[in-house]
Amino acid sequence: MTFVRSASTANNAAAGLAAATRHILPNGMTALVLRASSSPTVSVRGFLSVGAVYESTAQSGLASFTGAALIRGTQSRTFQQIVAETEERGCSVHAGGGLHTTGFGARALAEDLPLVLEILADMLLRPTFPLHEVEKLRNQFLMGLREDEQETRVQASRAIRSMLYPAQHPYGRLTSGTMATIQALSRDDLAAFHQQYHPSSAVLVIVGDVEPPVIVDEIERLFGDWKPSSVPPTLDWPPVAPLDGVQRQHIPMAGKVQSDIIWGVHGLKRSDPAYYAAMIGNVILGQLGIGGRLGENVRERQGMAYYVYSSLEADLEAGLWGAAAGVNPENVDQAITTILHEIEQFCQHGPTDEEIDDVRAYLTGSLALGLETNDGLAGALLTIEHYDLGLDYVMRYPEIIHAVSREAIVETARAYLSTERYAVAIAGPAEEE
Amino acid sequence: MTSIRVQAHTLPNTMLVLTREVHSAPVATCWIWYRVGSRNEPSGLTGVSHWVEHMLFKGTPSIPAGTLDRTVARNGGVFNGFTWTDFTAYYETLPADRLELGLHIESDRMINSLFEPDETDSERTVILSELEGYANYPETWLDEAVKAAAFTVHPYHHPVIGYKSDLLAMTRDELYDYYQTYYMPNNAILVLIGDFDTNQVMKQVERYFADLPAGPALPSVRAVEPEPQGERRVVIRRPGPAQYVQMGYLVPDCRHADFAALAVLDATLSGAKPLSFSGGGAQTNRSARIYQALVETELASSASSSYMPTRDPFLFELHATVHDDRTADEVETALIGEIEKIQQDGVSADELAKISKQLRAQVAYSGESVTNQAFQLGMWEVLDSYARVDSLLDELAAVTTDDVRRAAQTYLTEQRRVVGHFIPTAD
Repeated sequence: MTFVRSASTANNAAAGLAAATRHILPNGMTALVLRASSSPTVSVRGFLSVGAVYESTAQSGLASFTGAALIRGTQSRTFQQIVAETEERGCSVHAGGGLHTTGFGARALAEDLPLVLEILADMLLRPTFPLHEVEKLRNQFLMGLREDEQETRVQASRAIRSMLYPAQHPYGRLTSGTMATIQALSRDDLAAFHQQYHPSSAVLVIVGDVEPPVIVDEIERLFGDWKPSSVPPTLDWPPVAPLDGVQRQHIPMAGKVQSDIIWGVHGLKRSDPAYYAAMIGNVILGQLGIGGRLGENVRERQGMAYYVYSSLEADLEAGLWGAAAGVNPENVDQAITTILHEIEQFCQHGPTDEEIDDVRAYLTGSLALGLETNDGLAGALLTIEHYDLGLDYVMRYPEIIHAVSREAIVETARAYLSTERYAVAIAGPAEEE
Repeated sequence: MTSIRVQAHTLPNTMLVLTREVHSAPVATCWIWYRVGSRNEPSGLTGVSHWVEHMLFKGTPSIPAGTLDRTVARNGGVFNGFTWTDFTAYYETLPADRLELGLHIESDRMINSLFEPDETDSERTVILSELEGYANYPETWLDEAVKAAAFTVHPYHHPVIGYKSDLLAMTRDELYDYYQTYYMPNNAILVLIGDFDTNQVMKQVERYFADLPAGPALPSVRAVEPEPQGERRVVIRRPGPAQYVQMGYLVPDCRHADFAALAVLDATLSGAKPLSFSGGGAQTNRSARIYQALVETELASSASSSYMPTRDPFLFELHATVHDDRTADEVETALIGEIEKIQQDGVSADELAKISKQLRAQVAYSGESVTNQAFQLGMWEVLDSYARVDSLLDELAAVTTDDVRRAAQTYLTEQRRVVGHFIPTAD
């Protein structure tokens, strides 16, 4: 009964989402516009299927640097003009390169939507990458990287990725690049990477107090003459060797008090039929409530960590299925042992019926919360387009979740999670001699 | 916005209940606020407010330890709790038809939390882990030093999480006494916002809260920070990636007539900040004075100001991460230079118009979420009155260029200033 009532609430919210206008421009760009009139605001979000996975190891950070440079000058406005014109109206535009995609968006009152759309079109289609702006941005990136070098969580994350993937694999590094690669990138490298932005891989979502037909016309006017200067890039993924045994790496860092641990194995692709079984298993293992089973043991029972959780990165390729915790250096081994124990128990005995009921009720019941705001609605539409899930996805979601059996969860956990073949990275104070 | 005005209800035990119907999405949020935080803590008990907050997740006879989180999740909800200098708050945001679960949880743990000795002990090390996590960041060391130097009398002197030595020594009974003193209906505010019928929801509120005993009279916070008698300076030397500068000026609290002028001053320096508690507003700092003077000129890789509403006089702050080939001294001089410009020349009418529009937009962005709305209402009721949420835009719009200049001249003086530098040591 608990579940049935939640699902109907979620379905009401989901029905609104399915009402979005979906429009494909002649150049292949996809636009989604949804009228939501309960607030005078508008949320603009979008992505291009171009990210760090398309850059070489030697040019690590290129997608991120290029995305951040879009706002630094266009054919019609300087960076100073963009921030002055948007901030004067309390709106903002942004863009940034991620691992698989380059994201962009804006936040504005509905009355200012024309301005932010015009600027976003300029940023995406006609950036100029002015030399002095690229240099300023480079210096900010370098400072960020210098700070990252002394952040335990970032160092553990960098290490676990390099342990799981070969050097030339895009998942083997962080999208922020390194001091050396960011130093070496030129303005022309950014301009060349921008040539890979392609309208057929672009999705633009607008949610707010707007008239969809009017906005679709506006999108046609602003983005219709976006002609690709290249074909969409393709990817050649390097092979990934399965883990052989246990790999452990400790990164000693000066001036630190706590050790951050990341345990990890190779997971699976988002398109894998077992994805939902893995996702549900992951929620039970390390997310539900205060960190799932890991939280229950490491934090609640043993009081070892303020944060502990598991995470599943599933996209174009099999990403990291990991567990993370921050503990006192004296407790590093005990924390790892406990994480391994919980994984072993989960693989051996699987989830309880109560856990499965809980996770189903949570995943379906909480849908309404995610669809409350314009930003939430836009985010849901973006995910739907990114993974080609169909506008009725949120309505189908409860069925999808319910179709995942206990057996599928156990099988999937056993197929990927291992207590004999894994990597673990620890960044923190130097280990005691 | 599909909303009606806030309604205030007072229960016989004097607990205040604020409700607002919002029917734009099938969600509702339940917040309980306690007028207690680190400003109420005596010496030797620093961190007790935050630890007590944690203990309210550790079980009652009817909701045993480890079941609260599962129950909320099972009902499709999210929850959290947090402690600040002036308040402690908990919330559950749920599908609208589950709001009663929030009422049940908050009424139960206000009175029936167990504080079992073994749960208390295991939470001690969780909190030490939280403290050690913060200590991994150089900014934490600098911030704590600046606050400690700025407040010699007032408890804003110590960090909300407390001192490690106090956390190691505190006993279960000290925690429980603190809970019994402050976690009572006469010191609580319940805020409910969302897709419900007020009459119906108030019947549930009465069922869960009306019979709870009011609680004892509350100890008052007597400390008043005296007028500083000169600039104070602190330097932290530790391993770190960069030099950081943090400055704080002792300024009035949110009930003072100059609050609005200081808030506008903050916005002229680094934009009108998002009001939301979960992020999601617009970035407005890059056309403002500090970014232009420090980041555009590459003195700093980031720089901003901040001024928060507080119960007692707190700090108007300036922060910067010093650029690689510049020094903390240069950045400090540039930050002070920006203050002096306003003291001498004031701000322009265009800047005030910009800030006014930014505030209107930030209010609209944060207003989309019932959780954010409840955060604003509850916080303002603890600090002054929930009515400020509605009057704030007008208060800020009434600020003149002269008001801003006068506030800068009166409060952002050398005498009221604490300057902190973080200087990395060689590895």
